[in-house]
Amino acid sequence: MESMTSIERVQNLLRRQPVDRIAVHEHFWGDTIKDWCAQGHIQPGESLEDHFGYDFQCAGPLNMVADLDFEPEVVEENEETMLVRDGNGALLRRYKTHDTTPEHVDFRVQDRAGWEEYIKPYLKPEHRRIDFEAYRQARDAARAKDRFFTCYAVNVFELMHPVCGHEYMLMGMAMDPDWIKDMVATYAQLTIDLMEILFSEVGYPDGIWFFDDMGFKQRPFFSLDMYREIIQPGHKLTIDYAHSKNIQVIMHSCGYIAPLVPGLLEAGIDCLQVIEVKAGMDLIELYKQYGDRLSFFGGMDVRTLYTNDKAIIDRELERKIPIVKGNYGYLLHSDHSIPNQVAYENYRYFVERGLELGSYRNGD
Amino acid sequence: MADNDILARIALCTERGKINNAAPYPPDLKGEDGVDELTEKALNDGVDPNDILTQGFMEGMGRVGKKFSKNEVFVPDLLMAAKAMTAGMIRLKPHFESGAAKHKGTFVIGTVRGDLHDIGKNLVRMMVEGGGWQVIDLGVDTSPEKFVEAVKEHPGCAVGLSALLTTTMVNMEETVKAIKAVSPSTPVIVGGAPLTQEFCDKIGADAYSADPQGALDYLADYTAA
Repeated sequence: MESMTSIERVQNLLRRQPVDRIAVHEHFWGDTIKDWCAQGHIQPGESLEDHFGYDFQCAGPLNMVADLDFEPEVVEENEETMLVRDGNGALLRRYKTHDTTPEHVDFRVQDRAGWEEYIKPYLKPEHRRIDFEAYRQARDAARAKDRFFTCYAVNVFELMHPVCGHEYMLMGMAMDPDWIKDMVATYAQLTIDLMEILFSEVGYPDGIWFFDDMGFKQRPFFSLDMYREIIQPGHKLTIDYAHSKNIQVIMHSCGYIAPLVPGLLEAGIDCLQVIEVKAGMDLIELYKQYGDRLSFFGGMDVRTLYTNDKAIIDRELERKIPIVKGNYGYLLHSDHSIPNQVAYENYRYFVERGLELGSYRNGD
Repeated sequence: MADNDILARIALCTERGKINNAAPYPPDLKGEDGVDELTEKALNDGVDPNDILTQGFMEGMGRVGKKFSKNEVFVPDLLMAAKAMTAGMIRLKPHFESGAAKHKGTFVIGTVRGDLHDIGKNLVRMMVEGGGWQVIDLGVDTSPEKFVEAVKEHPGCAVGLSALLTTTMVNMEETVKAIKAVSPSTPVIVGGAPLTQEFCDKIGADAYSADPQGALDYLADYTAA
């Protein structure tokens, strides 16, 4: 097959149609890139898309914090951490020294009354929620290199927990499901309204990459029934909007979400990302069950990369890629993101060897 | 209501997450007494607080924990069960303080240094509490020194270490070594998304558990040994 542009390649992979090779993209912990810059492998500010030859260019232009005028307030600070109250009314502790997700200390919203008083009135589709310029620049860069351009957006489950925390949200799903359904509907509509403003003004993306972490080790946070009743309506609304504009949808979720895949398919996703092996996700099993209806992006165990042993990396790639590329629906990515224990040359090797195995040029 | 009936009812309400009469959850028990009222009634009727703990709360939490392990129920169910149990535990607290009710042991738990993620730790804490243990929760980002201090303060305790990230699980080894240096017989259980039995063996921990029920089962075996 002739060489394809990244846009052609990814579009076909998301429809499971013939391509020249699998596509590639990656996410990194901030410290990894810092270290690789310090080691001289990457120049500060250099495009990772150019450096590693990625098929994607992405922008995350939407600000979904409730109160945009609220100046984050430092409640407590020591040498290592800062405790900050944010515009969602959440009290979060973050490290100053390195990159990680914050500790959820307290939430102003603990029930429906808190949601209706502190958050819902603020969630309006205002222009100032959108970084038009970042989106425009990323889109232009993608177009210049024929890369597949995706708009990152957080979907409903991930939008709710910064407001009320996992525990209140999950208890709310049991105790007051109508409250959670109201949050789901509000955030889904706000997402669509903001996208419509942005896309009609600057131009449409090729894909939307939704982020919605719905699982942890060996289980989803909720049952498939609960997903269908409470979360799926929000997914369906946002995915239907994308499809109505001929935009393909990638859904990211960390954790073990295999039991939710039938529901995600009903919601209309085109591709599942990130397929976290250490949480129990099994790429080959998913491919066998759903490979005719769904594309897969990720699922390469990052723990094999930080062994920094090429033979182990080879085994992981060779065990999976020849199988999962079968339906022209596989895109290369680790099963989460690359930590700084991974040596630059070994990551580079992972990409090169993965793409070699993912080539269709020799009739593979 | 006979003792056995009320204990069975407390176990059921714990398992189903029925906190009190006013709670709308679960819908099929709406308007009925929950763990709070039933525990008060049992105590007023002279039921032994230890029976309320073991045949009521522990029985109910044990059932929900086993279902959770088999993916028959999920986090919302577990959280509701723990909330119901907490309502009953508040009623039992004076009896623990007076010595009329006894914990199975003390379990010290925390996420290791550098790790701020506490959902997994909190689920284990709830299940172990529901298993009749006194839990000392050291919170998140806990230094080895803080674990050692807690081990010294609670002789005979067991310890649980949690980490969510590949970047922080490496700090477990240092913590295990520090605990074993002051108290070699203290059992240390490790858990968290990136962990494996192999990693547990490598760092010298005593047990790895993939889920909260596994931690509780290990503690039960440990106390029985």
